Amino acid sequence: MAGYSVLLVDDEEEFVSALSERLMLRGIEVETALDGREALARFAEKPADVIILDVMMPGLGGLEILKRIKKSSPHTQVILLTGHGATKEGIEGMRLGAFDYLIKPVDIEELLEKMKEAVKTTGTG
Amino acid sequence: MEANFKQLSRVKELAFMGKVNASLSHEIKNTLAIINESVGLMGDLLGKEPPADWEAYPRLKSIIASIEEQVQRSGAIIKRLNRFAHSTDKPVVNVDLNELVEEITTLAQRFARLRGVKLEVKLASEPLVIHSDPFRIQQVIFAFIERGLWHCSPNETQVTIACRGKGDMAQTIVTDEGSPEGDWLRKRISAALAPACILAEEEDPELAILALTMAQLGGSIEAEDVGATGNKVILSFPAKIPEE
Repeated sequence: MAGYSVLLVDDEEEFVSALSERLMLRGIEVETALDGREALARFAEKPADVIILDVMMPGLGGLEILKRIKKSSPHTQVILLTGHGATKEGIEGMRLGAFDYLIKPVDIEELLEKMKEAVKTTGTG
Repeated sequence: MEANFKQLSRVKELAFMGKVNASLSHEIKNTLAIINESVGLMGDLLGKEPPADWEAYPRLKSIIASIEEQVQRSGAIIKRLNRFAHSTDKPVVNVDLNELVEEITTLAQRFARLRGVKLEVKLASEPLVIHSDPFRIQQVIFAFIERGLWHCSPNETQVTIACRGKGDMAQTIVTDEGSPEGDWLRKRISAALAPACILAEEEDPELAILALTMAQLGGSIEAEDVGATGNKVILSFPAKIPEE
């Protein structure tokens, strides 16, 4: 077991399904959500050490979810997924307290490395 | 009034085109991300060690690696498309000419490969920040790169795009070497910039449009004599685009 938990939030169901399975194969405990409201409900039920969060989602967008998570749980680390680098959203996300942002399509090794770094700052890993 | 309306209408058209392209590129990124994770999962499930007597195993691993490589390649192409699409977001912005040249040259590399001509970029060592219209600047630079490519002999020549600051101007220099038609472009530019530019409009309407665009940008086109086997075009852009 990797020893930490992740909440993966993205509106693309196939993306969530494939990536969550890959993370679980690596011993990471994964919860998933396909929209913002589901993400907040999941997190309230079972807080994760790290949240992987898509920025561009219909309804409650990634940045709004980030704000709410950081308000209720400031030590939870959030890694944003963006379509393109250095976008307004990515920069705004960092300003709002995101740990970092990665550009889709994501390299799994880079994501794992980033999650490990994030977990270290929470003291869980 | 009518001229202002036409200008505003053109800006809105370009912004619409850019917005739709940027949105589409974002959608493509999402599908690439799904392909990336799906093929990654296939690789994970296959594992690192081949099961006994499974001849197709190395082939499958090789196909997965190839798909992953193409996903990365497509991701890089989409990134360029997205950046280009965003160049129409605002008609006039502060922009580094080096970045514009680097971006448009990357987009032109495919045309160069198809033509068999080497495309080389020499950026200025310092930023060349100007307040101008990035879309129209890239349009002009691309047009001269394309002209250079089409008039070079394939497989043995190159087109070089350089940037430099000169006085208050930021310049892009497009040089083609080994053009069998010699300094055709210099003669045409001289014709296009001559007072009787109606002649150039008839002979080479695109060049006349480029000359007009450069005038709107407050810049200039010069053609330098580099002998009979090539062309050197100097595009000069002012620090600030004139107000229209």
